[in-house]
Amino acid sequence: MNIKTTFWFFDKIREDNLCLLYNGNFSDDITNKLIELSEYNITNIDSMVKMKKKASFLMAECFQNIVRHGENVDKNKTDYVNEGFFLTKNWQSIYYITSGNLIENRKIENLERQLQKVNSLSNEELKVLYREVLENEEISDKGGAGLGLIEMARKSGQKLSYVFEDFDNKFSFFYNQIVLKSDLDLSNINPQMQLDESIDFHKKMKEENIMVIHKGDFSQDAIFPVLKIIEENLRKEKHDAGSKKKVYHILVELLQNISKHCLKEDNKKEGIFLIGKSESYFVINTGNLIQNEFVDDFKEKLDELNSLNGKELKGLYLDKLRERNFPQNGSSAGIGLIDIARRLISPINYSFIRLDDKKTFVSLNVIA
Amino acid sequence: MLEKLEIKETRDTPEVLFDPENNIFKISGNSLPEDTTEFFTPLFNWLTDYKKSPNDITNLVCELEYFNSSSAKMLYEIFFELQNISKNGKQVSIEWIYEQDDKLIEEKGLEYQSVLEIPFEMIEK
Repeated sequence: MNIKTTFWFFDKIREDNLCLLYNGNFSDDITNKLIELSEYNITNIDSMVKMKKKASFLMAECFQNIVRHGENVDKNKTDYVNEGFFLTKNWQSIYYITSGNLIENRKIENLERQLQKVNSLSNEELKVLYREVLENEEISDKGGAGLGLIEMARKSGQKLSYVFEDFDNKFSFFYNQIVLKSDLDLSNINPQMQLDESIDFHKKMKEENIMVIHKGDFSQDAIFPVLKIIEENLRKEKHDAGSKKKVYHILVELLQNISKHCLKEDNKKEGIFLIGKSESYFVINTGNLIQNEFVDDFKEKLDELNSLNGKELKGLYLDKLRERNFPQNGSSAGIGLIDIARRLISPINYSFIRLDDKKTFVSLNVIA
Repeated sequence: MLEKLEIKETRDTPEVLFDPENNIFKISGNSLPEDTTEFFTPLFNWLTDYKKSPNDITNLVCELEYFNSSSAKMLYEIFFELQNISKNGKQVSIEWIYEQDDKLIEEKGLEYQSVLEIPFEMIEK
C-alpha cells in the first residue's frame, strides 16, 4: 500500500456517509465489534434508525455465512481458512452489507440454485418457504439449509445480489450483497454495479495487503469500536506484543489528531484510514480534509519532524512533556505527531491534493 | 482529612483512587479520551487541596495499560504536582507497573523517571 491508495479509495467512496471494509480473519470478537460499529453508525443516520435491528440481524447472518463456509474448508490449508471480506456502507438512506467468503467449487451449483429460488419468490412465498424449511427439512451438513438466505431476502425485501469469482481449482469466492433501504427512498440504484465495485475494492485490498479501511466520522464514539477491532486483529498477528502496541498507539494518535484538526463539514469530522502490512511491518494511511490556509504550516511541521533523528525527536518529546501550560493549552499541540515520528522506520510520507479554493485533501503514510 | 477521590474506569478513561485516609493513591487502566482536560481537571483540583496538608508519605501507583500522548502530558503534570509536595519535607514516590514485554509502557515510565526528581520505581509485572 502506498500513499496514493488513500485517495484512490477516498475518491470512490466520497459520497458515502460511512464505509467500512474488512479483509482477513473472522472471529466472534471481530464480528461483534463490526456489528457494534455498524449499529453506532446507523443510529447516527436519521433515516436509518428504524432499520437498526434489521441491519444488525442481517449482518450477523452474513458473518455466520462467512464463518460456516470458512469452517467447511479443509483445515489443513490454513492459508484458506480465514479468508473473508466484509463491507458496510451507507449512501443517502441506503445501506449496503456485502460479505465474501471462499466456497468449494463443487458446492457452487447447489448454492446458486438456492439463491435463484429465493430471488424468484415474492415476500409471501418466502414466508411459506421459510416455514416449510423450518418444519420439514433436516439441517444438512452444509448447515442452515438455506434458512439464512431466505431470511436475508425476507428482511431486506430486496433481491440478493451475488457473484462467484474464481480463486483456484478447488475454491471460489462467493460474494453476497444485501441492500437495505427505507420505504421512502426512491433513488434508482444498480445493485449489481455496487457489488462489482465492492469486489474491485476487495481485490485491491488483497493486492496491497490491506486489512481495514474506514471512511466516516472520526469522533471518539465512532472510532472506538474500530480501534477494538484492530486491537483484536493485531493480537492474532505473529508480531511481538511491543510492536503491536506500537501500531495501536500510532493509530490512536493519528486518528485523534485528525479528529482535532480536520475540517468539519456539516458538523462532521470526516476522514479515511487504511491499515495494511508490508513484509514484517504495518502500514497506516490516513486521509482527511483541511482548510487550504493550514497546508503550509502542516507541511513545515512534517518536514521538521522528518529532518530529526531518533535522539532529537526524543529530546523534543521530553521538552513538550515538560512545558508548563496547563490548563490554558491542555491539548499540548503537536506532542502526538512527535511521538509517532519517534516510532517509525522511515520518515512520514505525506501528500496534499488541493480540491478547490477552500479545502485540501491531506494524506499521511507511515510504516512501523 | 481531605475526602477521597474515586473515579470508576470507563472504556477510555482510567480508574483513579486518591485516598489519604488509607494512604492509597492509584491510577490504573486505559487513558485515551479525546478531551484530556475534562477528565484530568478534577484530579488537579483535588491535588491542589491535598497539597495544603499532605500525608507524610505519598506513594502513587501507576498501572496503565495504554495512554495517548495528551494523557502522557497530563500524567506529567500530576507527577510534577507531587514533586512539589516533596519540597516541603514530605516523602513522595511513584511506582510504575508494566507488563513484561510491554515496551511502550516501560519506555514511557523510563522517560518520566529521567525527567523527575522524586523516587520513581519501575516494576515489571
